[in-house]
Amino acid sequence: MKLEAFQAAQSYGLAKTALKGDLASPVAGQEAKNPAFDALHALAGAIEKGEKTSVAYMTGGADPHSLVEAMAQAEMAIETAVTVRDKVVEAYQELLRMPV
Amino acid sequence: MNPFSAISAVVSSGLKAQSYRLQLVSENLANADTHGYRRKLVSFDKARDAASGADVVKVSRVMLDPAKGEEIFDPSHPLANENGYVVMSNVNMLTEIADAREATRSYEAGLQIFRQAREMYAGLIDILRR
Repeated sequence: MKLEAFQAAQSYGLAKTALKGDLASPVAGQEAKNPAFDALHALAGAIEKGEKTSVAYMTGGADPHSLVEAMAQAEMAIETAVTVRDKVVEAYQELLRMPV
Repeated sequence: MNPFSAISAVVSSGLKAQSYRLQLVSENLANADTHGYRRKLVSFDKARDAASGADVVKVSRVMLDPAKGEEIFDPSHPLANENGYVVMSNVNMLTEIADAREATRSYEAGLQIFRQAREMYAGLIDILRR
């Protein structure tokens, strides 16, 4: 089994550039291949939509139903991402605890 | 596509439609004593939500009720016709209240669906957690 610990750390660093959508970065190709980034983009999109809608609501540009919808979507996305992250970290810690 | 995000889009459109319906009811009630006012009727239509691919509801058009308003004999009124009759609005309080009740019930049903979907999703995430 190939343990790609370095890749995990690298991917974590990539998250920043992925959220910025910085295609000029040297790791852009790598990022496009990784399905985890799709999920990351979806999460960032949901959060961004929630923020945009709440700003629009405050300035009178959106109705409360859209606000509730966008916030619920963002909450759902964040909760899922946090749970999956916890699970992944837990699995990794389990590996680290393995006596060698 | 995640059915839960589709549910929130559908429910949101339903809540929007029902609150619009309540808005029209309040307009009708407010104008119940306006001479010649015709009550507004709303009809809904389905629409395809591009993001989730679900059928949402939208307000298709607002029509005016063609029914004739009640004519009241009042020759001293400035809007009275040559026979001394004034045309009142065709708003029926009872119908409007019933319509408002119906809109409220539909709204509550939408909220309940939303709550239920959230609970289901929370349960699903809980399984992943432990």
